[in-house]
Amino acid sequence: MSTELPESYGSPPDGAASAPSRRTFIATTTAVGSTVMAGGLVAGASLSGAAEASAAEAPPSGRVSLTVNGKRHATVIDNRTSLLDLLREHFGLPGTKKGCNAGACGACTVLVDGRRVNSCLTLAVRLDGAEVTTIEGLADGDELHPLQRAFVDLDAFQCGFCTPGQIMSGVGCIEEGHTGSHEEIREWMSGNICRCGCYVKIVRAVEQTARGK
Amino acid sequence: MSPQPQTAVGAPLSRVDGRLKVTGQAKYAIDHDIAGVVHAVIVDSSIGRGRITGIDTRAALAQPGVLKVLSHLNAPVLAYLPNPLAGMAGERLHVFQDDKVHFHGQPVAAVVATTLEAAQHGAGLVKVTYEAEQPSTDMAGAPGDEPLKYARGDTDKALASAPVRMEMTYRLPRNNHNPMEPHATIARWDGEKLTVWDKTQWVVGTQTELATVFGMAPESVRVISPFVGGGFGSGLRGWPHVIIAALAARDTGRPVKLSLTRKQMFFGTGFRPTYEYGVRLGSDRRGRLTAMTHDIRAETSRYETFLEYTMVPGQMLYSMPNVSQEYRTVPLDVHTPLFMRGPGYATACYAIESAMDELAHKVGIDPIELRLRNEPEEDESSGLPFSTRKLRECYAVGAREFGWHRRNPGPRTTRDGDWLIGTGMAAGVYDAGRQDAQASVRLDADGTALVQSATTDMGPGTYTSQTQLAADALGLRMGKVTFRLGDSLMPYAPPHAGAWTLASVGSAVQDGCDKLRKQAIKLAVEDDKSPLHGADPDTVVVSAGRLYVKGNPSRGETYRQLLTRNNLTRLETMGSFTRPTGPERHSLFTYTAVFAEVAVDARLGLVRVRRMLGVYDAGRIISPELADSQALGGMVGGIGQALLEHTVIDHRDGRIVNADLANYLVPVNADIPDLKAIYLDGDDREVDPIGVKGLGEIVQVGVAPAIANAVFHATGRRIRELPITAEALL
Repeated sequence: MSTELPESYGSPPDGAASAPSRRTFIATTTAVGSTVMAGGLVAGASLSGAAEASAAEAPPSGRVSLTVNGKRHATVIDNRTSLLDLLREHFGLPGTKKGCNAGACGACTVLVDGRRVNSCLTLAVRLDGAEVTTIEGLADGDELHPLQRAFVDLDAFQCGFCTPGQIMSGVGCIEEGHTGSHEEIREWMSGNICRCGCYVKIVRAVEQTARGK
Repeated sequence: MSPQPQTAVGAPLSRVDGRLKVTGQAKYAIDHDIAGVVHAVIVDSSIGRGRITGIDTRAALAQPGVLKVLSHLNAPVLAYLPNPLAGMAGERLHVFQDDKVHFHGQPVAAVVATTLEAAQHGAGLVKVTYEAEQPSTDMAGAPGDEPLKYARGDTDKALASAPVRMEMTYRLPRNNHNPMEPHATIARWDGEKLTVWDKTQWVVGTQTELATVFGMAPESVRVISPFVGGGFGSGLRGWPHVIIAALAARDTGRPVKLSLTRKQMFFGTGFRPTYEYGVRLGSDRRGRLTAMTHDIRAETSRYETFLEYTMVPGQMLYSMPNVSQEYRTVPLDVHTPLFMRGPGYATACYAIESAMDELAHKVGIDPIELRLRNEPEEDESSGLPFSTRKLRECYAVGAREFGWHRRNPGPRTTRDGDWLIGTGMAAGVYDAGRQDAQASVRLDADGTALVQSATTDMGPGTYTSQTQLAADALGLRMGKVTFRLGDSLMPYAPPHAGAWTLASVGSAVQDGCDKLRKQAIKLAVEDDKSPLHGADPDTVVVSAGRLYVKGNPSRGETYRQLLTRNNLTRLETMGSFTRPTGPERHSLFTYTAVFAEVAVDARLGLVRVRRMLGVYDAGRIISPELADSQALGGMVGGIGQALLEHTVIDHRDGRIVNADLANYLVPVNADIPDLKAIYLDGDDREVDPIGVKGLGEIVQVGVAPAIANAVFHATGRRIRELPITAEALL
């Protein structure tokens, strides 16, 4: 499963007032082991993403405008913010889950411009102009997406924590056409760990939904 | 009473909370939106033993948004009263109370900040200095505690005279639960009252831990946990980070959100301990066991002694006159282990079932036939009759469905191109336990019901199965019943563990709903305005919310009509289940036979599971679809245990070197073939009034040895250490 984004996401946002050095930036983003994509280094505006910053100097921030589940957001955020934390902590969309924060489990999978990505590995400031779909935006009103329906009907989950990521990844997998056989689905759904062990039924749900397309 | 029609129980229904889970609306601990919340991140010890000599917080505090750095230097003295529910010898880790470091990764500080980013960065800027000592984390060669012992007969004498004698040592590594949801807590103080939203398998347990640590009345602590993203045992105690969240919230006067990182999950919560399990066995030439000894060593921490029921299978799974066991814990500079799926039993059954396979090969008897020859007539550890033990049927059904008898019994006899093909089987056992539980039941005049108990649903489907039980007992449609759980204000429930929940909470729900239905029926037959007036209450049943005389459906009325006419807004009852006191009259266990087919690359040693079947004697099945999912999940867990999972410690400093999901390997989709589960028909009323024996634990027992035995059959190589990796087979 790819987490690479098209180059267009790398364009810096407006309003570079007090740009941190590359060295400072990397130090601040990797200090506690949260892995982020290094490709999206941008200059930040000297605005605080937090409503309250107690110390004198505000953290490096950037402006980003993106569409999430059809709703347009324009915001200034701490440059260290991952797309996952932007969704969860700033946009009130906790349906996307943080399972490892290191791109190893897939719980944070969302669609960015139709492609599945690990949102924990994606710096939010890179996503200017992007269109993001999360689990909260998949259903059409009360009408579940066919894959959501299949997950319920085939009991393709237990605890439900990896489920948003599994479903978003499954939507991507179906769109990509990697559903020719059970083996192919297994391979292309292997970026999403399910510790409850629902893989057999996840494969059935993806296959059934792909067949119904 | 007339038995209620069973329409929900036993029906293959989908989950009542399914829609919430597939739309991202299910709220796990850290998902709760609490106004004014700030973030805390823990700083971990970077030594494995010693003491803290200094903590420099200046750089962290200089960061924008950082509010506080908590550590033993500034934390208040906490009460740490004995926790009456702890059930473990020793004393728990005290958070931020002194300068001692007991294990690598122990929390030594916590940074609280207005944003997650600031807290994470701040945590990286806290400089801790130590006086380090050499930790001891390797069980090999480390001295053990005084052992627990069990003996019957005279094993030395029996072994000396046995025509067939074997001696093997099996090794199992540390495993980490690694539920997909990292442990997380949100804590908020309202004056002297504390509310926490926590990932826990026991709200009462977390409540009690917080109350005893802070020296508060339990009623002043509320624990809320409506959804739990997996647990497998990791949520069975209130961990240090829960205390830290509460402490940080009290200190800053703000609600605090704290999640462990995936790395911190490896030392911030428990684990299945490392084991060495030595077996000596004696049998006659026809495979009839005469004696077995079990020499068990397991790691524990220096501050607590963790024990599990590892000795039980060796005492009762097979018939033999002579058994001796020693179970020794080995204290090390590690944190305390905790129960992980199939605790003790899965460990013991790996050793015993591997040994049985080795014996079958040695005496030239089919592994199933060997087990049948050693099948006991009663529980030889207690002399009690089995309530139900359908292990013979598990073997028969499994052998037939799996095609067992088509196998060539010789090892390394079947090939498929580069792959060596083998099949293996193993038995498994787990105790059919149950605990006291309560549930409140309320029927409203609109014909809907609310049933509540302070239990948990970490994935098995508690919401759904309890709703099924309640719906049938009340005579309501599924959609008219709401079951709520995960709040310490609700009626008491035991830990969501040990496969106890359905047996215990389910029995309480059944009791409460039966009482309420009877109350409604009594009201109707004594009400001269009711069509049921004067009817024999024992002939009245309820279906789809309508009470009627069995065999005369036209004579009846609905709950709604009954309550409205009587000016009642609701009926309420409390259901309870009390575990029978006094000695058991029966031996109560669940059983399984697991069958596996593996392919092993002849040159590379790669092991792939090709198919697997589990057959279970688990009593009555309330939710067949969900029970099926649990069984498949248990097999996946067992595949991980057999082939992948292994927490690796660098014994030079006690560091866990693979503390992430890229290096602690768990099964992914591509590792898992089609799996099949069969539950035998069953109903065991000796265990509980609803006849369930529990299935959450048994489903992982027997999986690892079935795979290990299949690997032997494929390759002719007996690997006596888990996980069975390609390196081990090369």
